[in-house]
Amino acid sequence: MSARSRIGAWLDERAGLDRVWQALFARHIPAIGPARGWLYVFGGTTLFVLLLQAFTGALLAMNYAPSPDHAYDALRYIESRVLLGRFIRAAHHWGANFTVVLISLHMLRTFLFGAFKFPREATWLTGVLLFFAVFAFAFTGYLLPWDQKAYWATVVGTNLAGELPLAGHAFELVLKGAPQLGAATLARFYAFHILWLPATAALLLGAHLFLVVWHGISQPPVRRNYPPDQPGWQDEYRRRYALAKEEGMPFFPNAVLMDIVACVLAVVLLTALALHYGAPLENPADPTDVSYNPRPAWYFLFLFEALKGFPGWLEPLAAVVLPGAALLALLLVPFLDRGSRRHPLDRPFWSGLGAAALAGLSALTIMGARSPLTNPEVRENQGIVEGKRLYRRLDCGYCHQVAGRGGKIGPALDKIAQPHPAPWLEAHFRNPQALVPGSVMPKLNLLPDEINALTAYVRLLEPKVSYTPRAPELFMANCAVCHTLDGKGGRVGPDLTHIGSVRGTGYLRRYIADPTRFYPNAVMPSFKNRLTEVQIEDIARFLKGPRRQPKKS
Amino acid sequence: MDDPFPETTVTRRGFLGLLAGSLAAALGAAAGSCGLAYFLSPAFSREKDEWVDIAGVDDIPLGAPTEVKFTQRRRDAWLVAEGLASTWVLTRDRAHFIAYDPHCTHLGCPYRWSRTRNEFLCPCHGGVFSMDGKVLAGPPPRPLDRYPTKVEAGRLLVIPLPARGMR
Repeated sequence: MSARSRIGAWLDERAGLDRVWQALFARHIPAIGPARGWLYVFGGTTLFVLLLQAFTGALLAMNYAPSPDHAYDALRYIESRVLLGRFIRAAHHWGANFTVVLISLHMLRTFLFGAFKFPREATWLTGVLLFFAVFAFAFTGYLLPWDQKAYWATVVGTNLAGELPLAGHAFELVLKGAPQLGAATLARFYAFHILWLPATAALLLGAHLFLVVWHGISQPPVRRNYPPDQPGWQDEYRRRYALAKEEGMPFFPNAVLMDIVACVLAVVLLTALALHYGAPLENPADPTDVSYNPRPAWYFLFLFEALKGFPGWLEPLAAVVLPGAALLALLLVPFLDRGSRRHPLDRPFWSGLGAAALAGLSALTIMGARSPLTNPEVRENQGIVEGKRLYRRLDCGYCHQVAGRGGKIGPALDKIAQPHPAPWLEAHFRNPQALVPGSVMPKLNLLPDEINALTAYVRLLEPKVSYTPRAPELFMANCAVCHTLDGKGGRVGPDLTHIGSVRGTGYLRRYIADPTRFYPNAVMPSFKNRLTEVQIEDIARFLKGPRRQPKKS
Repeated sequence: MDDPFPETTVTRRGFLGLLAGSLAAALGAAAGSCGLAYFLSPAFSREKDEWVDIAGVDDIPLGAPTEVKFTQRRRDAWLVAEGLASTWVLTRDRAHFIAYDPHCTHLGCPYRWSRTRNEFLCPCHGGVFSMDGKVLAGPPPRPLDRYPTKVEAGRLLVIPLPARGMR
């Protein structure tokens, strides 16, 4: 005996591997034929993608904290600092989409082929429960990034659960874990997503796979070739199936190879999508934002769209009663569509109903995808978003004002007369006293990333200059002979450096055009005949400020 | 003449089985290697730390190691945390400084300077170091780790991660 077969024999004696192999892989299945065989790969591919989800999910969990003040930063960390983090996250995101698509295709094939009928009713039941589990995975996983999409999708989703008649409010509270969506909700959803649901799904999957092997896979139906539809047709079905199995082929290698080829195709496509599109990560969740357009994932768009069509008093009907009835009907399919006929054309009522449901879902999904956005889409620069968060986190508002809110110890950041160039701000954040001796601003030991983010944000706050690049030249040519501005110019007339803080642009424009309107004895000449109106307006805006810092040579 | 296509024992079923097994192995290897790289990535990461201002040069006593505590703002994975850190600083002329990592080189316990014995004593396994960081007794495998130091405008700056070359 060779070493290999000796090891094999040793293992077989201890673990019964040979019998496991016989039961799982060498078992006979009916011959399906190569063309229709490809319709049988969706179950195996769903299983494979689910396992892949467990794998990528376990990896992501290693760099995640289910807490509102850490979750989003953890996601950014995975995206930007962990080797292959962006790819693994994108693979998990696309894997979720693939699971939804594949399990739906698997269910559709089972429905069309009447494969849920005797003796596979329990297989269908466990399969539909797994289908629900996949959606529960999707719904709970959605919240975990704690970005805008996550937050608002969950607000809508949990409120929807609150529409449940009678116990709605209690149900919503149990789902959220607290009256408002927050820390308890996130921890709860995380526990659902990584503990309760995987455990439930594993049990269901075990039962489902056992039943698949126990009953063997169904044959593709042949039209009008059924046991006569009378009591006891099940025995005839069993007899024919046993015969087909005997004439069929072993599960391995043909059927297994097809499954694996389908898995390879799925992985290639998934990798391409993950590499090309990545996974979306929006701005951090902001419960006060009124400019966001909440939209669910594409597989919930049908519900999103359907809800628009119902008036308030019928809301529970659209939100809970109808979807609930549909799910119940899906679960009960084997007990509704009975009899021995399996080909979709031989059971027109149920095929028609299935097709109508599918068409309705598709139409609602397309309408939902096309529904116009209420708010204009704003894409904020990532650095600015980070800067804004840091501003809040460091409590800069204790000393500084923005939009009239905050302390008065430091300057109001949106009213600074002279905007600072980025290098100045960066140096200032690094060491305030070095640039502004005597400044009371503390040295914060900020990290380089933080300095860049704060600089981006403060630059955004600063008032924008409104004059043209010609304005400084116009001032130098016409006004600087008599007036000083920012330390340069003549001393015949008053220093105009701070004129912008006491006079408006309109006043300045009228004054430049004709000073005698204000002071009949003004020494300053009238400029309305020397400069165009546009030029006068330009100088007025330049004086009003804020002015760009002159570039250092 | 030799048969150019000698009969082999590979059947169609055997070949398909081999193909299925190879594809499955390739899938597993592809997913596994990505996951492994992600899992092992902390081993390849190089943390870049910044100079931290820890004290005024004149505040450090001459001749004896002094524990200097300072606040350090640093990246902790996805957090930025501000925490207290410390180092044992030794200077004899306020121009040259040694800043020791405050952990024993044996297993990282926090040692202290004993003024009576003029030695660093580790409370865990009996490690003893001289003022210059040399191992005098106990199990430590190497002298005390040192932080890079520099003096700027009368302030002492350190990078509080032991440089690998200095171990």
